[in-house]
Amino acid sequence: MISRRVGLAAACLTLLGACAGPARQDVDSLSEVGAGETVVVGRIELVPPLRKDEQKIKALNSGTYENRIFLLADVQYRVLVKEPVLADYNGRIEATLGKNFFVRSDRKPFFILGGVLFLDIGGSELNKAYFPGGLKVPIQPGDRAVYIGTLKYHRNEFFEITKVAIEDDYERANAEFKKKFGTKNSLRKALLTPAK
Amino acid sequence: MKHRIGSVFALIALLAGCASGGPERDINDPTNSLVFGYVDMDEAPTSVSYASLMQVAPPTEAPYWSLTVRKGLFYSAYLPAGSYQLSRFGGSGFLAGEHQYNFGRQGNQTALRITKPGIYFLGSFKYKKVSSGLFEQGKFSIDKIDKPAEAELLKRILDEGTDMKTSAWNDKIRARLAQLKR
Repeated sequence: MISRRVGLAAACLTLLGACAGPARQDVDSLSEVGAGETVVVGRIELVPPLRKDEQKIKALNSGTYENRIFLLADVQYRVLVKEPVLADYNGRIEATLGKNFFVRSDRKPFFILGGVLFLDIGGSELNKAYFPGGLKVPIQPGDRAVYIGTLKYHRNEFFEITKVAIEDDYERANAEFKKKFGTKNSLRKALLTPAK
Repeated sequence: MKHRIGSVFALIALLAGCASGGPERDINDPTNSLVFGYVDMDEAPTSVSYASLMQVAPPTEAPYWSLTVRKGLFYSAYLPAGSYQLSRFGGSGFLAGEHQYNFGRQGNQTALRITKPGIYFLGSFKYKKVSSGLFEQGKFSIDKIDKPAEAELLKRILDEGTDMKTSAWNDKIRARLAQLKR
């Protein structure tokens, strides 16, 4: 019986997208963004950065997890007090560490509830590291694209989070935004704020 | 988010030989540290027959160090400076089959940073089953307990450990025991 339980858990992990509902979609062109939607631009960094040997993903879809953090997001603010369930992954942001992300979102404020980084997947291993949330993405009516900042998670070798900082790296993000979407479009600075 | 819970896997295949022993070192290497602890598995499906520490820093190609395991006592007398935490242990029972108990890598209460050679007691722990959903893998926590105490376990290491009495550890352990008596 236990073997079967493990099998089911592993299958859901492999198909996280199918089991958990979609992530916020990456945007390559503003024509993909609907009337009531906004492009959210930001970046997540680990300090020190993730070493290659710190993550061991032995799964078919390893690219989904390697050097990527899953930001759990919801329009309703809530505090995650236990291990996230699959429903908590709905509408997540899948961010490659150290790179700007450009994702499509409904044009209304939402909250970052926390982050999940898969450290080990495969064999009998399933290890995750969790990162604090409690942050608001302050989207306003009329926003076509917003920059929320670089969220830096300082951590030690045991993945204990020692500091969380939001840094303003607007110039670099805006340059990438203009290159990607054209110089006519503007990116409003709307840095993450504490949820409460 | 609470995440200081390990996971239990029932294994069909035997795992003997899966954990590497870390780099080979001489028992009398002056840079060695002795790291030890105890786990009470009375409430677990099986006892423990193997255990390993993971070296999380500095980076290494062989991060897993096999521990000597004897009736709940686990230890290694060969560890160089670095950061470590319990990674997994396992065992088998006639009815329960083979089980592996994996520890989380974040919030692991056995995390240890060795900056200078010495004797490091991780603590004594008791296995506790944590209820999980029907379709979830088994979970457990390990709670710190007072006994057996450090001195009792050190005496066991001296008495039961291969080569311990004839190595440099004999004097070091006796010195530590004398310190604990004071």
